Amino acid sequence: MSKRIFLPALFLIAAFLPGMAQGSDTSADFMRSMGKMYVVVTAIGIIFLGIVVFLIFLDRKLTKLEKQTKQND
Amino acid sequence: MIKKHFWKALAVLILLYTFIAGLLVPLKPGIVEMDPRTVQSGRNISFKVKGYNTHYMNSDIRAWLKMDEDHVLAASPILIQNDRDLKLIFGIPPFLPTTDKTQNFTLIIDSPVDGVHLLPNAVFVSQDSVNLALASLQWPPERITDLHEKAGITFPFRNILAETIRNIYFHVPMWFAMILLFLGAVIYSGRFLWKKNMQDDQRAASMIRTGVLFGILGLLTGAVWAKNTWGAYWSGDIKQNMTAICLLIYLAYFVLRQAYEDPDHRARVSAVYALFAFFAMIPLLFVIPRLTDSLHPGNGGNPALGGEDLDNTMRLVFYPAVFGWFLMGLWIAQLNFRIERLRERRLEEE
Repeated sequence: MSKRIFLPALFLIAAFLPGMAQGSDTSADFMRSMGKMYVVVTAIGIIFLGIVVFLIFLDRKLTKLEKQTKQND
Repeated sequence: MIKKHFWKALAVLILLYTFIAGLLVPLKPGIVEMDPRTVQSGRNISFKVKGYNTHYMNSDIRAWLKMDEDHVLAASPILIQNDRDLKLIFGIPPFLPTTDKTQNFTLIIDSPVDGVHLLPNAVFVSQDSVNLALASLQWPPERITDLHEKAGITFPFRNILAETIRNIYFHVPMWFAMILLFLGAVIYSGRFLWKKNMQDDQRAASMIRTGVLFGILGLLTGAVWAKNTWGAYWSGDIKQNMTAICLLIYLAYFVLRQAYEDPDHRARVSAVYALFAFFAMIPLLFVIPRLTDSLHPGNGGNPALGGEDLDNTMRLVFYPAVFGWFLMGLWIAQLNFRIERLRERRLEEE
C-alpha cells in the first residue's frame, strides 16, 4: 500500500511546486525578484518536502509491522 | 551510545553549516541592467546602469567601456543616483578602431567599496563607415589601472544566475549523494554475490531506494532552476535526458525485485542488476554528455566545477554539502534497511 502512495505523492510534488512558478507573468516576476532568490527557496522546499514524503512512507511501513507484531503476540 | 550515533549528528551539523553559509554569505556586486544596449557612434550618450549588491553612494566610482586591452573609453561625468543606480555619460567618437560596422563593449565599474564588477557585451555600438586612421586618433591608448577588490567573504555574481548560484549547494549535492549511494549499493551487491548474506542484499536495496529519492529531488530542483535560468523546465538537454534514463534503469530495479517470489533468487538477480545499472550509469552521466553540447557546466567543452562557477569560497560550502547529504542519505538508507530487516524476520517467524 505504502509503495502505491509514495510514487504518486512524489509526482504530485513534481506537478505542484513548479506550478507555483508557472502561469501568469506576476508569479514569474516573483521568482525573478530579489536576484532570483526564490528559485533557491523553492529548491530547498522541494528537498524538504521530498524527504518528508519519504519519512511518511517509512512511517507507514513501520506501522504495518507494528500491527502485525501486536496481532501475533 | 554517543559514539554509535556520532555520524548522524555530524550529518546534521554539516548540513546546518551549509544552509547557514550557503544562504547568508552575500554575492559579489554585479551589474544587472544597462540602458540603452544599442547606440550609434559619434554622440554623447547617457546610460542608465543598475547594480546589484552595490554601494554607489559616497563612493569614488570610475567606469569604462572596454573593447580590448588597448581600446578603453572612460565615462565622464558619472552621476550617482542611489546605491544601485548610476547615470554614465560616454562621449563615443565617430569612428571605432575596428573594421566591423558593429562592435560590442564590456562595461567595467570600479569602486573602493564594491571592487571591480562588469557586464560583458553591455553595449553594441554601430558606426556608419569604417575609418581606421581617424579612429586611431580618436582612441588614444588608455589602460585601466588601480582596480579595487571587494573585501570580505562573497560568492561570485554571474548574470542570469544571480542568487541561484546558491543552488550549487542544494541541487548538485543531490547527484553526488545519489552516485555515492549507488556506489555503496554496488559494494553491498558485490559482497552479497561473494558471501550470500541476505542482509547485504537488503542494504543494497535500501541504498538504491534512497539514491533514487535523491535523484528525483535532483531532477525536480534542477527543473525549477532551469525554468528560471535556461527558460524551460525541461529543455531536452543531453544531461537531463541521460539522468532521466539512468533513474528509469534504477526504478526498474524495484520492478525486478517485485517479480521474484523466492528471496534467494530475487537477491541474486537484483545484485547482478545493481552492478549492471551502476556501470550503465557511468557512460550515461559522465561520458555521453561530454561528447555533445550541453547547457550543464562541465559538458560540451564548458569547464567543470571551476572558474567563476565554483570559486574557492564556494568550495568551502559545496564539498561539506556533498559529504553532509551523503551522510544524511546513509542515515535514511539505514532506517529503511532496519525496517526491511524487521519485516523479513516477521516473515520468517510466521
